[in-house]
Amino acid sequence: MPLDTVDRTPPSLFKQGHSALSKLMVLSALAVLLMVVDTRLRIGQPVRAAVATALTPLQWLALAPVRALQTGSGYFGSLQSAQQEAATARTELIRQAQRAAQVEHLTQENHELRALLAMRSKLPVKAQGAEILYDAADPYTRKLVVDKGQAQGVEPGAPVMDGYGVLGQVTRVYPLVSEITLLTDRDQAIPLLNTRTGQRSVAYGQPRLGQLELRFVAASADVQVGDLLTTSGVDGVYPAGLPVARVASITQQGEGGFARVLCQPLAHMEHALQVLVLEPLANGLPDENVKPVTQARPGSGQGPKPGRAGQESPR
Amino acid sequence: MIMPAGQQQLLLPVRPWFIWISLLLALLLEMTLEMGLGGRTAWLPELLALALLFWIVHEPLRVNIGIAFLFGLGLDVHQGALLGQHALAFTVLGYLGTRVHRRLLWFALPTQALQALPLLLAAHALQWLVRLLAGAGWPHWSALLAPLLEALLWPLADWLLLAPQRRPHEPDENRPL
Repeated sequence: MPLDTVDRTPPSLFKQGHSALSKLMVLSALAVLLMVVDTRLRIGQPVRAAVATALTPLQWLALAPVRALQTGSGYFGSLQSAQQEAATARTELIRQAQRAAQVEHLTQENHELRALLAMRSKLPVKAQGAEILYDAADPYTRKLVVDKGQAQGVEPGAPVMDGYGVLGQVTRVYPLVSEITLLTDRDQAIPLLNTRTGQRSVAYGQPRLGQLELRFVAASADVQVGDLLTTSGVDGVYPAGLPVARVASITQQGEGGFARVLCQPLAHMEHALQVLVLEPLANGLPDENVKPVTQARPGSGQGPKPGRAGQESPR
Repeated sequence: MIMPAGQQQLLLPVRPWFIWISLLLALLLEMTLEMGLGGRTAWLPELLALALLFWIVHEPLRVNIGIAFLFGLGLDVHQGALLGQHALAFTVLGYLGTRVHRRLLWFALPTQALQALPLLLAAHALQWLVRLLAGAGWPHWSALLAPLLEALLWPLADWLLLAPQRRPHEPDENRPL
């Protein structure tokens, strides 16, 4: 029998480091501290970024078989379904082209009208494409991870949309990837505008249903099933006019005086592949020195500071 | 010779690099499964927790609570979960593992799995509690399946992770032992 099969360095009997109980105490306290730092103080980001960077090669490695399977399954799709898809895409393209021509005209008109009313002109929003890597595995939240990060200029708070509507918001940015919280997440809210009536409201995520809920809508409010809701732009994060959801159901709630309005998001929340990361609106204000065209609030000496909106944490 | 019930033969000493490789592979496999199944599958067994508990029970001097903590931190960041959630759960799992490691291995494999179940359940329950306190609400009921599946995988882990140590050594005609 060769000698190297025998463990020739027997463990020492008396020097075994700290006791398991003391290690448990110290490390549990450290874990609890990390949790508090992460939830309350919001300074856990450097720790996260460091660990995420160390994990990146492992994540790419783990993702490789998943990607191979996804692309591999494409090879076995039938010719017919591919042709059908192409036809649908062509129809959609024609529809979009017609709409784009309309928008061109309306933009010009809007520009002139705004000039006439001496209102501040809107800035075009910058955007960059990104690919979804995977759904975050945490079963309590609705999050995605995309392949663009700090290195590509993604900023926390940036709105994200797919080809159909607003998908969510960038909530954490790592050096190479970033995390998007979907609108259907429990903690996510988005200000909306009903395009039919012009009524503004705020929608909150309903993760169990995969829908959005308009809260505190008066039972007598003019909301109908099928109404298109777009971003209202009052939050300084989402640009105005992006399609978000359609009203799916309205339930009158007994004595409350409020209606329970559920909306189906237009974006493909669960199976989007490519997304567009927009630049947060607050960074795109034309001039810091221009006095904002809002009424001064009673009590406060000056109007809201233009640079601050939307910089607060998205949660 | 008195042998533990779960063990048929004398084992060769473990190679430290094999422990590390197996822990990293468990993490890799867990990530692949999570990403392949589209995320948010509460019932998915945490292979990393199983591998950590296994090595802590079998090699308490090589794999300790600190390593469990570090792996937990990595999983937290990967999942985008609350930072420290898995770290705390794995720390407690590691402690419970070190408490039982002297007696656990004297049982047969099915009994070992049964005894590992409360430990794994405790690690999961701690995570549910932490998220409840953090305001995330209750998980889906299928989360209860995760510790069960992990305990069911214990015999498989035993077979896979101890395989290199079960290799027959080179036979020697003169000294037949």
